[in-house]
Amino acid sequence: MSSGPLVEAVGLEKLFPLTRSVTEMYRGTPRRAIHAVDGVSLAIHSGESVGLIGESGSGKTTLGWLIARLHDPTGGELRFAGEDILPLRGTALRQWRRNVQVVFQDPVGSLDPRLKVWQIVGEPLRAQGGISKSEVRARLRDLLPTVGLPPDCLDQFPHEFSGGGRQRLSLARALSVNPKLVVLDEPTSALDVAVQAQILNRLVELQRERDVAYLLITHNVAAVRYVADRVAVMYLGQTVEVGPVRGVLEHPIHPYTKALLAAVPVADARRRHTRFKIGGDVPSLVNPPPGCRFAPRCPFVIDRCRTEDPLLREIPGASGQLVACHRAEEVRDIVPESLLTTVDGSPVPKVAAPA
Amino acid sequence: MTEPVVQIQNLSIDYVVGAGRFRAVSGVSLEVPQGHVVGIVGETGCGKSTLAQAIPRLLPEPPATIGEGRVIFRGIDLVKVPLWKMPAIRGTGINMIFQEPLNSLNPSFRIYDQVAEAIYIRRIRDEGNLVIDHRPPAPFDYSKRPTTEAGEALLRPIVPGGAAARAVRGRRRREGLRDEVLEYLRLVRINDPETILDLYPHELSGGMRQRVMIAMALSEKPELLIADEPTSALDVTIQAQVLTLMKELIEEVNTSILFISHDLGVIAETADELGVMYAGKLVEFGPVAELFEAPRHPYTKALLHAAPTRYKSEGPLATIAGNVPNLSRPPSGCRFHPRCPIARPKCRAMPGPPLEAVEGGSANHRSACFFPGEVASIP
Repeated sequence: MSSGPLVEAVGLEKLFPLTRSVTEMYRGTPRRAIHAVDGVSLAIHSGESVGLIGESGSGKTTLGWLIARLHDPTGGELRFAGEDILPLRGTALRQWRRNVQVVFQDPVGSLDPRLKVWQIVGEPLRAQGGISKSEVRARLRDLLPTVGLPPDCLDQFPHEFSGGGRQRLSLARALSVNPKLVVLDEPTSALDVAVQAQILNRLVELQRERDVAYLLITHNVAAVRYVADRVAVMYLGQTVEVGPVRGVLEHPIHPYTKALLAAVPVADARRRHTRFKIGGDVPSLVNPPPGCRFAPRCPFVIDRCRTEDPLLREIPGASGQLVACHRAEEVRDIVPESLLTTVDGSPVPKVAAPA
Repeated sequence: MTEPVVQIQNLSIDYVVGAGRFRAVSGVSLEVPQGHVVGIVGETGCGKSTLAQAIPRLLPEPPATIGEGRVIFRGIDLVKVPLWKMPAIRGTGINMIFQEPLNSLNPSFRIYDQVAEAIYIRRIRDEGNLVIDHRPPAPFDYSKRPTTEAGEALLRPIVPGGAAARAVRGRRRREGLRDEVLEYLRLVRINDPETILDLYPHELSGGMRQRVMIAMALSEKPELLIADEPTSALDVTIQAQVLTLMKELIEEVNTSILFISHDLGVIAETADELGVMYAGKLVEFGPVAELFEAPRHPYTKALLHAAPTRYKSEGPLATIAGNVPNLSRPPSGCRFHPRCPIARPKCRAMPGPPLEAVEGGSANHRSACFFPGEVASIP
C-alpha cells in the first residue's frame, strides 16, 4: 500500500450540459452547461475525516458522488490508493465499489420499503458475491449492534424504525463491506438535535474502531466541527478554503467562510439584536463569469476579483489552511462577527467558543 | 399591561386514526403578548406544528379534533367558531407562514397576482364590503332533481359562468394594485421587484419565495403572525438574511409572532419568550435569555446541551438517553421521567407536574417539573 493519500482528486470537473431548443441549435447558440463541480482538488488520507461544507447548489453532493464513482467526471483526475480509477468499468468497477460506500441524505427514500432489514443492509455484501444467505444474516447480527441497533431486527421493515434508526440502517449498509471510505451525504440533516448527537457520537466511535475515512458532506457547521479533522469549504463548484478544522472554523480567512460562520444562528440569547450584512442570493451555475465566484456578494471585492480566478494558496500567518482569495492577506484578521451589526451599535458578542 | 393578542387555555388536540387516538397536544396554556415574539421549540412529533395550525383552525378536522380548551382571540373563543366563519378572522387577524414556500405559493399564478390578491382582499375588507360566507352548500336533494328537457341546453344564454367567469373577475380585481404590490416587495428587500412581479414561483430561489410569502402575510397587517419553521428549508446565509428581515419588520409593522422552530439558534436570535414542548406538553415557558441561562426543566437543559459545539478531541457529545415516547401510550406522570436524570418515584405518579411559576425566576417563567431547583445541578 502506498503512503500517499487514499483518495486524490486533481482538478475534478463535472458539467451537466443543458439541452438547447431547436431554435437555439439553428441559430448556433453556444452550448451551455451547469458547472456543478469546477476544478476541485482534494485529498483524503486513510482513516481521516474530511468535512465538506457549503450551501445548496455549491456542488458538494456532486463532488461526493464523483468520488464514489456514482457520476462520471467530465474532466480531471481521480486516484484511489494511487491507482487511477476513472477507466474502471463493469466487473472491475463493481469490485472496486467495496472500497467506497455512501450514506444518503434521505433516510426514507434511500431504503426500499418493501425489503426487510437483512436484505437492505446485506445488499452490498451480496452484490460482492460468493456469500450465502445464512452467512449474510450471521454477519449482520454482529454488525447491527455496532451502529446501535438490536441484532434481532433483521426481519423488520424500514418503516418500523424512526428517522435516527433508519439512518443507522443506512450506516450499517455502508459499513457492511468494510469500506476504506464512507461518503456521508447530510447524514443528520433530517434528524432532531438529540438524535443527531447520538449519530455523530456513533460515527466518531466507529471511525476509531474501524479506521475508516469519512467524507462528511453537510451544511451543518456544528456536525463538521465535531466529526472532521480537515474541512473544505465549497462555493459554486469550487473550494474556497481547505484546512484543519480548528483553523478554518476559528480563524477563517476567505470572506465566504467568514460569512457562512457569521450566518449560523447561535443558541445564545445575547445575539438577538444582531443583523447579517451579506446580501444577495447564490448566483446561477450556468456558465459562471470569470473571476472569483463570490465577488458579487463579497464585501471586500476589488476589480481584480471580477476578472482573475483566485487559486488556492498558502497564506502566511494562517492556521494551516489554503485559501482562494486575492485579498487573503488583507482580510485575514477580520473576524466573522464583523459581518454582523447590532441595532444600537454596541459590539457584537463573540460566539461562545466550544468548552 | 395590555391584553395579550392570543390566549391559549388548556388546549388539547387529538388525532383519531383508525381505532387509535393520539393526544398530540395535551393541556397547553400559553399567551402571546402584544408586539412580542414567542418561540416554540421541540423535537419532531412534540405537537408544535399541530398547536400552530390549531390556532387559525387550519388543522384538518377530522382526523384532528380539538378535545378541550379555549383559544381566545379578540375576545372570541376560536375553538367554538364554526369553520366556515374562520376565513373572516384569518386574513387580518391571524396569518401564517409555512416551512416550504414552494408548496404555499400557487405554481400557476405570477407573483404579482398572488400578492395583489392578498392586498385586494384586505382592501375590500377595510371598506366593509367583504362578504364571507363559506357555509357548506345544502346537501343535494335527489327527490327534487330537475328533469332536463331535450334541447334545453341550446336555449341557455351563452355567457361565461362558473370558474371561468370567476377567474376573469379575479383578474380585473387584481389590476391597478401594481404600486402597492411593489411597495410590499420592496418592504421585504427584494432586489428589482419590477422583474419579480411577472415571474412564476418556480423561477425564484427559496429565499425569494419565502420573502414573497412574508410580503403576502404582512400585506394584510395581521395582529398575529404564526411562522411555522419559516427558515428551515433555507441555506444558512439566506436564513440569516430572512431572519434579519423578520427582525426589522417586527419593529416596522408591529405585529406579534408565534415562531415555531426546532432550531434553538434561530429561536435565540428572534424570540422574546420561549416555550419548550415535549410529547404534547408545554414543559417550560419563560423569557428566552433566562431559559438559555438557567433552564428549570431537565428536558430544556438536555436539549440545549445536545447541540454540538465541540471538537471530537474534546470528548463525546451529550445526548438524551432513550427515545421520544409514543403518543398513543404516553408515560404516566411527567412524560420526561423515563429519560430524566433526576427522576424520582413521585415523577411517575399521576397527575404529572403542573406548569407553575418557578422560584427566583421572572414573573412569567414557568416550569412543569417537581424539582426545578435541582436542574442547575445536572452536569
